[in-house]
Amino acid sequence: MNTSVSTQERLARIQLNAFLYFRADWLERLIEIFGSAQEILRQDAPTLAREANLNPDTAAKLLQAAHAINPQEEWDKTAALGGHIYLPEDEEYPQSLRNCKEAPLAIYVLGHLPTDGRACVAVVGTRKITPYGRRVTHKLGEELAQCGVTIVSGLARGIDSEAHAAAVRQKKPTVAVIGTGIGRCYPAENRALEKSLLEHAGAVVSELPFNSPPNAFHFPRRNRIIAALSQPVVVVEGETKSGALITAKLALEMGKDVLAVPGPIDSPQSGGPNSLIRQGAGVVTSVADILDYIPQQSRFGLDTRFFEHTDITPDKPLEKLSPRQQQVMQVIGTGSCSLDHVAEELHATVPEVAGLLFELEVQGFLACENGLYSKSKF
Amino acid sequence: MLANVCTGAIKGIEGFSVSVEVDIAPGMPTLSVVGLPDIEVRESKDRVVAAIRNSGFDFPSKRITVNLSPAELRKSGTHFDLPIALGILAASGQLSATASGKLPSLLVLGELALDGSLRPCAGVLPMLIACQKLGKTAIIPPQNVLEGQVSSASFLTPHTLRELVEYLENRADESTVKISFVPTEPNEPETELDFSDVKGQALAKRALEIAAAGGHNVLLIGLPGTGKSMLAKRFPGILPPLTHEEALEITKIYSICNLIGKSRLLTQRPFRDPHHTISDVALIGGGSSPRPGEVSLAHNGVLFLDEFAEFSRSSLEVLREPLENGQVTISRAKETVSYPARFTLIAAMNPCPCGNLGNPLKPCTCTPMQINRYKSRISGPLLDRIDLTVNLNPVKYTDWNQSSEGETSAQIRERVLKARDIQRKRFAGTATTANAFMSAKQIKQFCPLPAGADAILEAAMRKFGLSARSLDKILKTARTIADLEGTETIETKHLVEVMQYRPLDRKGVAD
Repeated sequence: MNTSVSTQERLARIQLNAFLYFRADWLERLIEIFGSAQEILRQDAPTLAREANLNPDTAAKLLQAAHAINPQEEWDKTAALGGHIYLPEDEEYPQSLRNCKEAPLAIYVLGHLPTDGRACVAVVGTRKITPYGRRVTHKLGEELAQCGVTIVSGLARGIDSEAHAAAVRQKKPTVAVIGTGIGRCYPAENRALEKSLLEHAGAVVSELPFNSPPNAFHFPRRNRIIAALSQPVVVVEGETKSGALITAKLALEMGKDVLAVPGPIDSPQSGGPNSLIRQGAGVVTSVADILDYIPQQSRFGLDTRFFEHTDITPDKPLEKLSPRQQQVMQVIGTGSCSLDHVAEELHATVPEVAGLLFELEVQGFLACENGLYSKSKF
Repeated sequence: MLANVCTGAIKGIEGFSVSVEVDIAPGMPTLSVVGLPDIEVRESKDRVVAAIRNSGFDFPSKRITVNLSPAELRKSGTHFDLPIALGILAASGQLSATASGKLPSLLVLGELALDGSLRPCAGVLPMLIACQKLGKTAIIPPQNVLEGQVSSASFLTPHTLRELVEYLENRADESTVKISFVPTEPNEPETELDFSDVKGQALAKRALEIAAAGGHNVLLIGLPGTGKSMLAKRFPGILPPLTHEEALEITKIYSICNLIGKSRLLTQRPFRDPHHTISDVALIGGGSSPRPGEVSLAHNGVLFLDEFAEFSRSSLEVLREPLENGQVTISRAKETVSYPARFTLIAAMNPCPCGNLGNPLKPCTCTPMQINRYKSRISGPLLDRIDLTVNLNPVKYTDWNQSSEGETSAQIRERVLKARDIQRKRFAGTATTANAFMSAKQIKQFCPLPAGADAILEAAMRKFGLSARSLDKILKTARTIADLEGTETIETKHLVEVMQYRPLDRKGVAD
């Protein structure tokens, strides 16, 4: 830890960081004007407003928000979970985030952040995941992790969770930038995932005060951190107005590369990536397409096998299936299909089809959601 | 003078005899009724006074006390009018010794109109069954004659108070107070709803067949317009016919609720479909003087709850007791009554609040949180009591337009009856009636795992996150599938089919 910042100043910065209605670079400007965060907190609202040329209401709110939190308590609670609070002055604060124009004044970190220069790829997308998005994220996530790339995402439902889970399955580190404070998990069903990603040397990062609730405006805000930490950013699925597209836009503003996974043109969840492609985003059809965009200096130590572009050889594992099972896979194709439909196509009875679908599901070839079966393997 | 007339009252669905004691003493002219009468019994005073006067008798201007004994049990219903009136006539000496002498052999029920004619009343059948045990002759209103014929008790049906007195005085023939046997109207025509009307939905039809064969509860999840209600309404048509005991039981319940229509004995399984705004009490039964609720009206039949997730949380939770025990116990400070409530639950709900989740043609506009909240309205313990869950998908035009008819209800019913026969033999001598109601011990005895099933169940547990409790349910359902096929032991294919009916157990469905 850098000692250039005194403990008092450190605590004052943590207090100032709690004011979420300001962009982080404006807060930095305030610190420049007053010389230190402590100095800002000593002011009263009218002075602060006058000196910094702020709206008096805003100044009052800023001081109110800052004084509402007890920085020592924040520090202690974070430490109790085994976490740290880092300032940009600290060595541990990621270089890529420091370079970002709106670098947070302080970040709360559980686990281990990837060292500077390590390859980090953001995999983001909708919470309303489709079977297609699930199997794409599944495959790309696992291959990125195997290759040695750290996956950065937001620990939300849908694509985010699938991406983290893929890395965890490979026992590889992954970074979750969450939209709540450290110490609170949202959505609650991801608590187990959060725990296991920490067990595999991953990290959970938040700029919000300890235990902050999941307010809606926290999420687009944290997206800039996801974008800042990664190069490139991959959008798997997302509607044309979605958080994933916000991340893509922020990434472009930071000069990062944005890649998109093309999808069916009649699927609302593929509207976002398809429109990104129309605007010139890179197309992802395999993990090699992503790896091409990893900066040269970060490629050290990555598994080179994954860099080779290979054509997709569809349905190779299907050769092992029985003829009847293969027929089922053919009926389902890349779409999704109910048991009734399969039974009708195969001219089979419900019990027979039930048996076939069960075998295929247990072996992991199919997934079932809301009574519709779809391919779960790439 | 003192007179004593026997009548009946209801506790739960059983009748018991009540004696109406009437005392007439000199004093201020009053009429008081004691012995825990409910409001409708207290109101009978005014009807009795008018009916006695308008029948050409004198109403004594004396101090009249009516006691309903046993005094500690609450009495409700309007059938106390006639026994009270008769008691007053006897106590005031307006009946001859002959007539009074006949009173102890009678059990008198009936509401009086102000002109002295008899009106129908509720709960006649259970009271008649009690009367039969006492060996008395019942006096019942003529409109309740069908219930009289069901009970096989001896009964008379005078039209008016005057007619009854004339008969007791031997001035009228028995034929004037007895309606000759009323031939039962032919049963309500067999329902015209047939399974062959439902196009497609093979999986759902199969699930309902299993439900009918084993008494399992079903949850249908599907987009609006996929035929959930259509299927449910056709379900009673594939259930086995009622036995006489079952029919008598439900007729008693309907008698108490005054819901008996034109048929003398209900011969069709009831189908109740309460609206989702129903109150807890209307659903489960109760009230200050307890009455059976919808679950009891569905006894031995089907309770169909459409828009299952829209029912209030508390209504759904109160369903747990009848689903578990087949009866409802209502406890009040003064009394506890039980009503039978062994029904097959068919619940139907949309996959999400907007109804379009999984619809290939219309996008769902719900947020994941809304969907989660919607699904979580059905609590785990409640889902645990539902053995079969089916997702229904939109019917394709080709299915809808298909010329070949699907299986008819009669064909399905035949298989159901065979499966029920096997179960009857299996459970002979026990209280269990169907596979769904097997105890843990019976599951062990009758549902041995087939060889090689361990691997399947283990894979299923790993893949779907099945709990040990759901394994029991899987075994019960597999037993029914095996029975439908007529095979002695459960085979692995039966277990595998059951997995199709447990989509909510799958991990990650909600996210």
